[in-house]
Amino acid sequence: MTEIVSVTNLNKTYPGFQLKNVGFSIQPGRIMGFIGRNGAGKTTTMKAMFNLVHPDSGEIRFFGMDIRKDEFEIKQRVSFISGGVDYYAYSKLTMISDVYRLFYPSWDESLYQAYLSRFELDPQKRIKELSQGMGVKFALALGLSHHAELLILDEPTSGLDPISRDELLTIFEQIVDREGATVFFSTHITSDLDKCADDITYIQDGKILASMGKEALVDSWRIVEGRTDELPVELRGKLTGFHERRGEFSGLLHKKDLDKASGFNVSEADLEAIMVYSERTAESEKPSI
Amino acid sequence: MKNLLYKEFKLSVQPLNYLFLAMAAMLLIPSYPYEVAFFYQTLGIFFIFMIGNTNNDLFFTTLLPVPKRDAVRARFVTVIILELLQIVISVPFALVRSRQINAPNMAGVEANLALFGVAFVMYGVFNLIFLPMFYKTGHKTGVPFLVSGVAMALVVVVAEAAINLVPGWKSALDSIGPTYLPQQLFAMLGGLVLFVVLTALAYQLSIERFEHLDL
Repeated sequence: MTEIVSVTNLNKTYPGFQLKNVGFSIQPGRIMGFIGRNGAGKTTTMKAMFNLVHPDSGEIRFFGMDIRKDEFEIKQRVSFISGGVDYYAYSKLTMISDVYRLFYPSWDESLYQAYLSRFELDPQKRIKELSQGMGVKFALALGLSHHAELLILDEPTSGLDPISRDELLTIFEQIVDREGATVFFSTHITSDLDKCADDITYIQDGKILASMGKEALVDSWRIVEGRTDELPVELRGKLTGFHERRGEFSGLLHKKDLDKASGFNVSEADLEAIMVYSERTAESEKPSI
Repeated sequence: MKNLLYKEFKLSVQPLNYLFLAMAAMLLIPSYPYEVAFFYQTLGIFFIFMIGNTNNDLFFTTLLPVPKRDAVRARFVTVIILELLQIVISVPFALVRSRQINAPNMAGVEANLALFGVAFVMYGVFNLIFLPMFYKTGHKTGVPFLVSGVAMALVVVVAEAAINLVPGWKSALDSIGPTYLPQQLFAMLGGLVLFVVLTALAYQLSIERFEHLDL
């Protein structure tokens, strides 16, 4: 299957932060979660993808086209949603859509009206009167009404209550299943991804740690626990995010090294565990205070 | 471009901008530094940018399928339209002032064509300073407005001083009536040319700076 997005060797240096050779690709008809802790580089990567930030080097292609050369064509087919709607808070929804639709020859007014009623959005309301969840729905309605094939969402679920989050994730699934669109969204809430992601791209400190199917990612790690005084040096060296307290240890072990953990308590890891243990390693590499 | 202009006037231009057009009526005050009447619109333009920050206007605009430079171009066209409107709307007030009020303006240049020349230079200088300074950061409005405001004040001081000090200018440029119309027309056209040149320069600078800006 042809990839819908490919990001290759993306580099960007800011004072105190760096994107390092960021690369991943997104397949059509999938939901890809982009995870990483706050400040890991998710927003910068997404902004660079949409030409809002100028990378120092690297290549970003949508539908095989270079964003720097075919920005107009790409933006017709992609919708970027940052948080919810954080612009023109005092304007009515109808004013925003009146302006927005002019820019998209493929705008489908009846589809837009259908989304408004499906998401229970009152076009006479002002943006600031929308809850955060409703704001994301409005942004989705705008994007879907110009038949965006790819929706890029930056932290759409942060700050939402669990019910709204679940509702939104269900909408993502419907967008992919019914409209045939692709969703790429960033989050630091791993349960979002447990629920709906097909693929995961994990960024840590400006570097991509993993970009693969969710099942494969989860399946490739195990949590190992046991008594520290029984822990062989070889296994200790293989553990990610090693944690010790009161003579007991725990750590994340790659599946390929599973044979080294016989005799210890081995359990399946979930995304949260993978993220927490990996970040723990990253923290321990930093000089202690 | 048409769509972006629609967006500008639907979402970005403020009621204050239209209200400030009414400041043209200040030309009816018998004695007043009439240049001040033209200053208000730059305050209105400053508000477009300041409120644009609150509304995340640049982000909204750059997410649309338009090249970044078009966002700058649309804003320039909006600014120029407002400035020209301010000048055009001032014309009838200037005519009423000079024909109906039979007393010289004791506080500055008369409401004649030369005054419009000064207004063009004020707007050109404002555009050259305020707009590229804003597009360098994409969010700073206060300091650019302060600097451009001081520069416009300097333009007024220099223009008024020149009219009063350069031999022959006082009678030619600070008068009403057909006698010195060619000289005043020349002054206005000079101001217009300067306005065009300075604004074109401002546009080039703004585009270059905005292209390099990370949002």
